[in-house]
Amino acid sequence: MSALEVTFVTADRTVWTGQASQVVVPAIDGSMGILPQMQPTLAILGDGVVRIHDLDGHVDERSVSGGFVSVDSDVVTIGVDDAEAQAPHADRI
Amino acid sequence: MGAQQRVYKQRIRSAQGMKKIFKAKEMVAASRIAKAHARVEATTPYAEALTRAIGSVATHSTEISHPFLDSERHETGRVGILMITADRGMTGPYSHNVIRAAEQLANTLRDEGKTPVMYVVGLKGESYYRFRNRPPHRAWTPYKENEIPELGREIASVLTDDLLTEDPEVHLDEMYVVGTRFESRFLQRTTSVRMVPMGLVEAGAEQDAPTYPLYEFVPDADAVIEELLPRYIRSRITNILLQAMASEHASTQRAMKTATDNAQTQIDKFTRLANSARQAEITQEITEIVGGADALSGSGRTER
Repeated sequence: MSALEVTFVTADRTVWTGQASQVVVPAIDGSMGILPQMQPTLAILGDGVVRIHDLDGHVDERSVSGGFVSVDSDVVTIGVDDAEAQAPHADRI
Repeated sequence: MGAQQRVYKQRIRSAQGMKKIFKAKEMVAASRIAKAHARVEATTPYAEALTRAIGSVATHSTEISHPFLDSERHETGRVGILMITADRGMTGPYSHNVIRAAEQLANTLRDEGKTPVMYVVGLKGESYYRFRNRPPHRAWTPYKENEIPELGREIASVLTDDLLTEDPEVHLDEMYVVGTRFESRFLQRTTSVRMVPMGLVEAGAEQDAPTYPLYEFVPDADAVIEELLPRYIRSRITNILLQAMASEHASTQRAMKTATDNAQTQIDKFTRLANSARQAEITQEITEIVGGADALSGSGRTER
């Protein structure tokens, strides 16, 4: 299975970049899961939590409010105003 | 010690004191340039992602409409000019260049029958207009270097509101930004750019324009562009503010380098003068002694 190339940026820095197996974003009309081979999508984000599952199974969670995500041939770009680190859930895989 | 010498010594001491201050300012500015430049660079990925996203919406649907893209905005004739100057002095020509460019732009707009409305960042620009009895419409000053992203957000939201409002008292037709672009630590350019209305580059205008895949838009293309354009403005304004900050440091560094050199020239000059004054004094004393001795020996007295 191929992996997603994720770039997660805020207005003034890069938060997370690398390969991931799954990304969950809070789209404006409901939570949206992104897996490899997804069709090109450009979505507006609402308030919620961005969850990135990397290839080792670690989960990185950031709460965001507003932003956008673009998916294009397994390249995922998430742009938000602010990303606050959530309390880590180490056991959740 | 003669009065002359004392004056020179005083001047030397004062130049030495100033030189220390200039040197310190120069080094502080030099160390901040790199940091400020790194912050400019850090905004690039976001700006690129945003530009790509807008580009893909634009190529996907030719029918997008948004107030910011409408090139025929003639409602009130009011044109906003966002001018970014420094809060502090000792920045060389930095603030004055920006003020001059903004005034030029305002005059051009007045010739076209429009009303320029000033939005000013930084104490130098604000006081320029305040002392001329035409205070700016909005001024953000003083600002802190590490709060520039927040400042950019605030400015962008104020400008976006004024651009979109229906109230003829505050509505803006167009918006320009006058700032300083940071090319390198040796070269900064004062630039005026039009932010609104935005011109979308026609597809095919550039030979190697990137092609965007057919996207699915969530919820739809219009909503997406509605969300992205204000973000784009915010990102641009923040970027320009950060570049201006980096330019300010670079300009300060250059000005302070010159000031340090000048202080050193002054010290050298006064040291020479002080030396020759000292020499003149010694010569005069010797002349007096010799003259006195001659006078004594010429008087024919053998005992003192």
